[in-house]
Amino acid sequence: MFHHTPLRYGTLVVLLACALYAAFAAGYFGLEILIEILVLAMLVIAIDIVAGFGGMVSLCHGALLGVGAYAYAMLAVKAGVAAPVAMVASVGITGLLAWIIGAVCARTHGIYFIMATLAFGQMAYSYIFETPIFGGDDGLGGIPRLDLSPVGLDMMDSRTFALFALGALILCYLFAVSILRSGLGRSLVGVMQSEQRMRALGLVTWRVKADVFGLSGLIAGLAGAISAQHILYISPSLLNWTVSGEALVVVILGGLGTLVGPLVGAAAFVLLKHNISEYTPYWHLVTGLILIAVVMSRANGIFGFIEARLSARSEAKSEKTSNAQSNTATETNNA
Amino acid sequence: MSGDPGFWILQTLNALQLSMLLFLLSVGLTVIFGLMHFVNLAHGALYALGAYVAATFAGMAGYWVGFFAAPVAVALFGILLYWGLIQRMRKSGPMAQVLVTFGLIFALWDLTRIIWGDIAVGIETPALLSGRISLLGVDYPAYRLFVIFLGGVVFAALAVILGRTQIGAMIRAGVDNDDMAACLGINVEKLFFAVFCVGCALAGLAGAVAAPLLSVTPGMGLDILIPTLIVIVIGGLGSLQGAIAGSLIFGFVQTFGAVLAPQISSVLIYALLALVLITKPAGLFPAKGA
Repeated sequence: MFHHTPLRYGTLVVLLACALYAAFAAGYFGLEILIEILVLAMLVIAIDIVAGFGGMVSLCHGALLGVGAYAYAMLAVKAGVAAPVAMVASVGITGLLAWIIGAVCARTHGIYFIMATLAFGQMAYSYIFETPIFGGDDGLGGIPRLDLSPVGLDMMDSRTFALFALGALILCYLFAVSILRSGLGRSLVGVMQSEQRMRALGLVTWRVKADVFGLSGLIAGLAGAISAQHILYISPSLLNWTVSGEALVVVILGGLGTLVGPLVGAAAFVLLKHNISEYTPYWHLVTGLILIAVVMSRANGIFGFIEARLSARSEAKSEKTSNAQSNTATETNNA
Repeated sequence: MSGDPGFWILQTLNALQLSMLLFLLSVGLTVIFGLMHFVNLAHGALYALGAYVAATFAGMAGYWVGFFAAPVAVALFGILLYWGLIQRMRKSGPMAQVLVTFGLIFALWDLTRIIWGDIAVGIETPALLSGRISLLGVDYPAYRLFVIFLGGVVFAALAVILGRTQIGAMIRAGVDNDDMAACLGINVEKLFFAVFCVGCALAGLAGAVAAPLLSVTPGMGLDILIPTLIVIVIGGLGSLQGAIAGSLIFGFVQTFGAVLAPQISSVLIYALLALVLITKPAGLFPAKGA
C-alpha cells in the first residue's frame, strides 16, 4: 500500500518547485537536462510500481520505452497518423505488449523473472535493430512534436516542451498513485508478500501481476513517445538492456517502493552524470562505485535512508515521552 | 548450398566453437550460482579482464604466456573481489546481488578503459595454431579447432572431478542442500571460495581464448553477458549438464539460425529462451537443490 507521509508531500512540493523554477529560469542547455530528467522520472515511476510494490525486478522497461518511442515515430513518420492519435496509440501498443510480457513472466520468480524480462527486452531490441523498416542502426529522424499551435503554444520551444513533459510526469505520478491505491494495487502488494496466501484466498495471481505490468507499460510508453518528440530522432540503442539497468539503478539510488524516492534519484542521477562528465569521461566508474556503496549500506536509497532515519527518530521520541510518563506514574505511586 | 556436406561440417564446427567458448564462461557462473545462490553479473567483466591481461602478456612474451597468465590474474582478482564484496553480499537477496555486481560492471568497464584505453587491442594467434587443418574435406582454422578441443577437455575434466571425486561429491551436496552439507561437516564456505576462484580462472581462460578470435574491447564483457545468462537459464541452474546443453543449444541455434533463416535469426534465441521459461521455468537440467 502506498501512503503519502508529510515528508513525501514536502519532497514532492520541493521537486515541483525546482522543476518549475528550472523551466522558467534555465537556458537552452538547462532545459534539455530538465526534459531528460522528466522522461527518466516517468520511466522510473513505471519501474518502481512493478519492482517496489510487486517485487518484479524488470529489465525490460527500457525496451518498453523504446517500443513506445518507435511506435510513435512509425505512426507519425511512416504512416502519417496525426500526432495526438499516434501518441495515444503508441501508449496503448506499449501497454498491450507489457501486459503480454507480464503474463508470460508471471510464472517465474526471483532471478528467473529478471532473466525472462531481460530476454523479452533484448528480443524487442534485436527485432527493431535487424528489421529494415525501422531504419536499423541509422534510426529514424524527422519525428514531429505534438502541434499545439491552435491553442497558441509553440511546442518547438524548449520551455513549452519542458512544461508539457512536466505535465505528463505529474499525470504519470497521479496515475501510479491511483493504481497502487486501487484494489489491484493492494492485491499486488499481497502477492509480493505471499503469493501462496493470495492464491489460497482465491486470487488469480498471474492476472494481478500481468495487469500491473501492463499498466506500468502504459507509463513507459508515454515516456517513450515524449522522449522521441524531445530528441526528434530515435535509434535502437534506446532499447538496449543497459538502459533498463541504468533506470533500475536510479530507482535503487532514490529508494525502492517509495515512488517519491525514484523521482529524487532521477534528478540526482542526471545532474550527477552531467557534472561528473564535465570533469572526467569515466562517469560510469563513479556511478558504479556509488551504486555499490548504496546497496552495501543496506539503506533503501537516498530517500529511503532519510525516511527511515526520520521515522526512527520520531519513534524514539514518542517512546521517550511514554517512558517519562510511566516514570512519573511510578514515582507518584511510590510517594 | 545446403545440399553440400562441406557446408554442414563447416557450420557445425563454427557452432561447436561458439558453444565451447560460452561453456567456459557459463560453467563457472552456473556452479557459483547453484552452490551459493550468488548472482555474479560481473562474470562477463572478469572475462574482459582476462582478455586484456592475455593481450598484454602476449604482446610482451608471446601468446602462451598470456594464455596461462590470464586465468591466474583473474583468479587473483576474484579473491580480492570475494573478500571485499561477495562475502558480505552472500546472505542478501538476488536483487541486492544483481545491483552490486551491476555497479561492479560499470566500475570495471571504466577501469579497463582507463588502463587500456578505448581502442580495440588485437592479438595474434600463436604460430603453432595459425594454419588451417583439413578435416573431413573442409579446411578449418587450427586455432578454432583448438578452442573446440579445449572446451571438450575442460568439460571432461570437470565431469570427472564433479562426478568421480570426493570434492565433486561435496560440491554436489552443497548445491543440493547447503545446510545439510554443512551439518555433514563439509566446510561450505571454503568450498564456495574454491569454486569461486576456479570459476573466475575459467572466465579468465575464456577471455584469453576469445582474444585472438574477437578483438579485445572494453565492451566485450557486456556483449558476452547476455548469451552467458541465456545459456544458464536454458540449461538450468547449477549443473554441468545444464551448462554444456545450454551452450550447445545456443551455439547451434545462433550459427544455423544466421545461415538458414537470417531474417529471424536474432530473435530466434530469445524466443527459445522465452519458450523454455514458460514450459520449464527452472531450465532443462536444473540441479536438484536449485
